[in-house]
Amino acid sequence: MLGRPVCEPSDPAFQLRVLRMALALLERTDGPVILEDFPDDPPGWLDNPDWTAPVTDPSTAFAAELRAILPLWETAQARFGRTSVGLSFQAPSAWPDFAAAILAGELQVVPQLDTTALSVRFLCDDIKALYGEAAQAVGPAPSAKQVDTWFWRHTAAGALLQALRRTAMDSENNALKTVGGRFFVPTPWVA
Amino acid sequence: MARPEDIPQPTRDVVLNLPCPAFDTTPFVAGPPLSQRRIAIVTSAALIVRGDKPFAFGSGEARFIPADTAPGDLLLSHVSINFDRAGWQRDINVVYPIDRLRDLAALGEIGGVADTHYTVMGSTDPAAMDAAVDQIVGQLKQERIDSVLLTPV
Repeated sequence: MLGRPVCEPSDPAFQLRVLRMALALLERTDGPVILEDFPDDPPGWLDNPDWTAPVTDPSTAFAAELRAILPLWETAQARFGRTSVGLSFQAPSAWPDFAAAILAGELQVVPQLDTTALSVRFLCDDIKALYGEAAQAVGPAPSAKQVDTWFWRHTAAGALLQALRRTAMDSENNALKTVGGRFFVPTPWVA
Repeated sequence: MARPEDIPQPTRDVVLNLPCPAFDTTPFVAGPPLSQRRIAIVTSAALIVRGDKPFAFGSGEARFIPADTAPGDLLLSHVSINFDRAGWQRDINVVYPIDRLRDLAALGEIGGVADTHYTVMGSTDPAAMDAAVDQIVGQLKQERIDSVLLTPV
């Protein structure tokens, strides 16, 4: 799976196995080209039947859903000691109005990000990050596919990103059109 | 391990069809034992320090990450959305294994961990990175780092 080269989160023993095998290549003398595959898949790649998705309804208004998700996000921050949210330069409380303005055709810009295209792109990244963390806030860890399935099929946030993608692709702003088509919704989840 | 069959289309075709560079020479040297090597991380995750601008699409720049940067201050701004971020959300070490390198140093299995680590934007033409590579190499020499751990994202 792309995106986690050291494999299993929160599993130092597994991570050390990966690093030891990679670093051992430095002591090999049968180069110049040495290729080795790591033999094992991390257990977290498989769906976890014990994981329970947060209760959401894609027909709910995004603002209401977000308010309901925020306590889980705060729990996740306490659990993991950090958050990966922050690329949008906006607090979550500002997200619904900003998204609504974009859907209404207003080319809003976050000053730190210079353009509407980047402002919306990183808003989408932050929404996904917040929901991804909320999904992992309590209980056993879900697989990445479980998080994606919940987000893209069962949340108002996922529906919002699909709508933002459609709005961007219909926009006369070429940068927004390009970014929206490529970076708001992962290819397998485009509705 | 990332396998082609696990990568969604169209990313899979892009990866499989990337040109593989040919080199005139293939220099190879044996280095010191691992227990004597000081190691830096180089990751294509486009990590940024919270508050900094994200990497631009196609940017050939490199950014330096001080080893003492708090995990909560690191954000991932890689351009591609077609890969998992759930692991990163739980644990930075799946991308930036700074804690594991410290573990190995404490165990004496490596000689030490660099004071500076490095990040670039993946999905970028390496030809656009010449200046960035020079910057990285200069800092590696200055800190007397003799090995790097590449974490492709």
